[in-house]
Amino acid sequence: MDFVLTQLSGFAGAFTALVLDPLTYAYLIISVFLGITFGALPGLTATLAVTILTGFFGNKIPLDYALIALLGAYVGAIYGGSYPAILLNIPGTAASAATAMDGHPLAKAGRAGEALGLTTTASFIGTLIGTIALLIFVWLLLLLSQNIASPEKALLALFGILLSGTLMSEDLVIKGWIAGLIGLAMAMVGLDPLLSEPRYTFGWSYMLSGFQVVPVLMGAFAVPQIIDGMRHIKAGQIAQVKGRILPNLPALRRYMPTIARSGVIGTGVGALPGVGEDVAGWVSYGVGKTVSEEGDEFGKGSLEGLLSSETANNACIGGALIPLLVLGIPGSPPAAALMGAFKINNIIPGPTIDPAIILRVVAIMVLASFTMFIMGLFTARVFIKILRIPQVVFLPIVMVLTAIGSFSVGGGINDLYLMLGVGFVAYFMNLLKFPLAPLVIGVILGGLFDETFRRSLLISGGDLTVFALRPVAGILLALNVALVLSQVPLVKRSFLKLRGRTA
Amino acid sequence: MDDDTEVLRARDFWGAVVLMGLSLFFLWRTLDIPLWGGNRAGVSAAAWYTSAAIVPLGIFLALLLLSITLLVISIRAGGARRALSAVGIGWNPDEAVRFSAIGVILFFYIAGLVPRVDFALSSGLLITALTFGFHRGLRPRMVLAAGAVALCGVYALVMHLPQSEWAAHDDDWLTLLVWGALTAVMLVRARGDRVLKVVPAIAVIAPLVLVSAMAFGFRQNVPNRGGLVFKQIEYHYYVNIRPIWRS
Repeated sequence: MDFVLTQLSGFAGAFTALVLDPLTYAYLIISVFLGITFGALPGLTATLAVTILTGFFGNKIPLDYALIALLGAYVGAIYGGSYPAILLNIPGTAASAATAMDGHPLAKAGRAGEALGLTTTASFIGTLIGTIALLIFVWLLLLLSQNIASPEKALLALFGILLSGTLMSEDLVIKGWIAGLIGLAMAMVGLDPLLSEPRYTFGWSYMLSGFQVVPVLMGAFAVPQIIDGMRHIKAGQIAQVKGRILPNLPALRRYMPTIARSGVIGTGVGALPGVGEDVAGWVSYGVGKTVSEEGDEFGKGSLEGLLSSETANNACIGGALIPLLVLGIPGSPPAAALMGAFKINNIIPGPTIDPAIILRVVAIMVLASFTMFIMGLFTARVFIKILRIPQVVFLPIVMVLTAIGSFSVGGGINDLYLMLGVGFVAYFMNLLKFPLAPLVIGVILGGLFDETFRRSLLISGGDLTVFALRPVAGILLALNVALVLSQVPLVKRSFLKLRGRTA
Repeated sequence: MDDDTEVLRARDFWGAVVLMGLSLFFLWRTLDIPLWGGNRAGVSAAAWYTSAAIVPLGIFLALLLLSITLLVISIRAGGARRALSAVGIGWNPDEAVRFSAIGVILFFYIAGLVPRVDFALSSGLLITALTFGFHRGLRPRMVLAAGAVALCGVYALVMHLPQSEWAAHDDDWLTLLVWGALTAVMLVRARGDRVLKVVPAIAVIAPLVLVSAMAFGFRQNVPNRGGLVFKQIEYHYYVNIRPIWRS
C-alpha cells in the first residue's frame, strides 16, 4: 500500500509541476498539433514525426520540454492517422490501417462526424489505459530488473531484434532477421566499447565515434518515404463531415468492455520489444472480430470494429514505453526514435534510469492525451483541411527539415552523408520488402548487445554456459531459441503434424 | 505463386548475392581485428572472448548464413531463372527515371549544395525542383528539375571541392539564378494549377523560417553560415533586431 501511495504522490508532484509551468502548454499544443498533422498526412508517419522532432528538440531544449514535444507528437500522430483512414480510406499511418476497415464505410454512410468523435474518445481512453499500465508495470519490472545483469541484457537485446524481425516482416521472416543483423553490423562501426579497438573505420576519423542514431533514424524513416512519396497521386474524394464532432456517449457506454479489452491488448502488444502500433491495431481488431457478437459486421461500418483498432493503437504507446524505460529496449519504431532522443541527452534508459524521469513521462502522457482529446474535438476541421495538401508539396519541406535537423544534432555535414547513404539503402530494402524497424532497433541495441555479451564472457572466463545456467538468462535463451526454431520449416511441419494428431 | 511474389523472388536473388558479397567482405575486414591474443589499447587480449572481433564475426557469419538461405529460397522459387530478365525483376522504365531523378536531386543537394551554398537558396531550389518535377508525374519535368539541381551541385563540387573554399559565393549566385529560371519555367507551365502557384512562396518562406529558427531560436549550428542570404540575416539579427530587446 505504501508503495502505491508513494508512486501516486510522486506522479501528483510531477503532474502539478508540469501543469503549473506555462511553457508546458506551449510545447504540448505545438507538438500535439504537429503530431496530428503528421499522422493525418498520408505519407508521413508517427515514427517520422518523432524522428524529425528529435532532430529539432532532442538536445536543444531542457529534457523535460524535449520529452513533452516528442511524446506529444507521438500521441498526436497515432491518433491523427485516423482522419485519412476514415475520410479517404487511406491510413495516415500504418497504425490506422485497421481503422479504415470500418471508419470509411461509416463515413460513406454519412456518419463521418460520429466516427471521428468516437475515434477521438477511443484514442484518448486508449492512451490513458496504456499510461496507467506504464505507471504500474514499469515499477514492478524495475524491481525485477535489479536481478538483470549482462547475460540477461545481451539476450534481451537479441530477443528484441529477433522478435521485431519476426513480427514486422511483410514477406519472409528471414528478411526481418537480416535487417536486424544489418542494424547490429552498423552498430559495430567505431571504437569498440570495452577495448577501444577501431572497427570498420576505413581510416576516416568521423567513423571512430560510430554511426550516430539521429542520422540513421532520419535516413531509415524519412528518405525512403520522400523518395516513395514523390509521385503523382490523384486526390481522393474526402467524405463530407456534417454536424459537430462529438463523442457518441450511448455507444461509448455500450462498447466500454470492447474499449477496455482493446486497451489491454494494445498495451500488451506495445510492451513486446520492437512491435508497433500497426500490429496492436490489427491484433485487437482480429480479437474483436472473433469474440464480438457483431463480428460479422466488422468491415462493413461497425462501431465496435472502429473502437477495437483505434483504442489499441493509442494504448500501444504506453505499452511501448515500458520496455524502453525499464530495459532500454524500444517497444515500437517511434519508441526507437524516442530512445535516440534519450541517447543524445546522455540518458540511458534501463534499470539505472532516474525514477523521476519515469514519473514525468507518465505525467506528460496524461497531459498529451488530454490535449489530443480537446484538439480532436474542437479543431478537427483544421486537420480535415490539411488532408487536401498533396504529398509533393509537403515532402520537399520534410526533406529540408530532415537535412537541417540531422546537421544540427552534432556531426555536421558527415551526418548528412550518413543520412543519405542509409536512406538510399533503406529505400532498396523497402523495395525488396525488408522491414526497417528491426534495422533501426539493431543499430540502437547493437552497442548494448556487444558490450554486455562480451562482458558476460569476460566475467565468466569465456564460459558460454553463463547464458544458460542463470535462471532469467536460461528463460531468455530458451525464448530466443524457440523464436528461431518456430520459423524453421521442418519444425513448423512437425508441430503442425503433432497438432493434427492431437486434434 | 502470384506475379508480385515471383518478381520479389527474382529481386531476392540479387539481394542475396549482394548480401553474401558484403558479408564476405566484412568477414575479411574483421580478420584485421586480433582474435587470438595481442596487446591493444594497453589491454592484453590473451583470450578469444576478450577480442573486439568476436561479436562482429558472429554477426557477419549469421548474415552470410541467412543470405545463403535467402538465395536458396529464391532459386527454389524460380528467382534465379527470372533474375536475368528485365521483366523478371519487374523493371519499370518510368519508375527508374523517377527514382534516378530524385536520386540525382537528393545527392547533389546533400553532397554538393548544402555544404557549399547558402542553405535558404539550396533548399529553395530543392523545394521548387521536387514539387515542379514530380507534381504531375511528367518525365520531361523530372529531367529538367534534376538537371537544374545537378548543374548547381556539379558546379559547387567542381569549383569548390575542398572545405577551405566552401565560403565562396559564386555558387550561391549560380544557384539563385537557376532557382529563378526554374521558378519562371514553372510559373509559365503552372497556368490553372493551384499547387504550383503557391510553390514559390513556400520555397522562399519555409527554408528561411527553418534556418532562422534553428540558428537564433535553438542557437544551433546551421549549414554554411557564411552563405549569401544567411550572412545578411545574421548581420541584421545581431546589429538591428537583437538590440531591441537587449537594450
